[in-house]
Amino acid sequence: MIVELIAVGLVFSACLAIYLDEAVYSIASLACTIVFLTLLYALNGAPYAAVFQLALGAGTLAIFFLAGEMLSEKPNGKKPVKNILFVSVLSLLLVLPSFFFSITVTPANFSSNITFESTLWNLRSIDVILQGLVILTLTLGIVIILHEEERGEK
Amino acid sequence: MMNFMILSAALLAIGIYGLLSKRHLVKILISIELIAMGASMNFILLASSLNMALGEALLVLVFSTDTCLTAIVLALLVIAARKYGTCDIRKLAEIAESEQGEGENE
Repeated sequence: MIVELIAVGLVFSACLAIYLDEAVYSIASLACTIVFLTLLYALNGAPYAAVFQLALGAGTLAIFFLAGEMLSEKPNGKKPVKNILFVSVLSLLLVLPSFFFSITVTPANFSSNITFESTLWNLRSIDVILQGLVILTLTLGIVIILHEEERGEK
Repeated sequence: MMNFMILSAALLAIGIYGLLSKRHLVKILISIELIAMGASMNFILLASSLNMALGEALLVLVFSTDTCLTAIVLALLVIAARKYGTCDIRKLAEIAESEQGEGENE
């Protein structure tokens, strides 16, 4: 029952994140979505993914809050309560099929008794390459931003 | 037992709706985040239900890449918004088109 409630909360907060006009409220809804997703991971036997999702989600939200505050203007009117109710009904309708329908999944024919730690250790070469790519992308991004700012000042 | 594939499809649908209907740059980025969340949720919960650690290990790498991508895109958005004074993606496209037209005329 608790997983179903979390699923409803997840879809409702995701709908609100798109629906609300003011960026700060929208980002607060996104924060709720991330928390619900973390709970869903933790309750379904993926604790490492839950921890990573929460940690990286916190960083992402901090950046979003800063950018949202800098970029957004205050909207003129308030959203009526009737529309919020419509969003909640819509999110409930979106979640309901996942309670009643099922898709059968056939597992592949290979051994799956490998632990998370040993998988990470076996994949360390891919990990190093990917992290290198991430650092390279970050550096390129920072260089582009600094170059653009310098060009703007001229 | 609920079906997570349909739940992740619902998240994906919300993200795609936001991507197509919203004009504000931050909203578009939030929509992209929701799409990424739907995809990763499908991957992780399917892997954990089949008792495969590989899915979880790969997704940890995907999370870090996704966060870096979001940070860079947001920084570029802030620069674009400061330079052109708007966060509306259609206005930005119009400005880019007019700048391109001026460049061709010169």
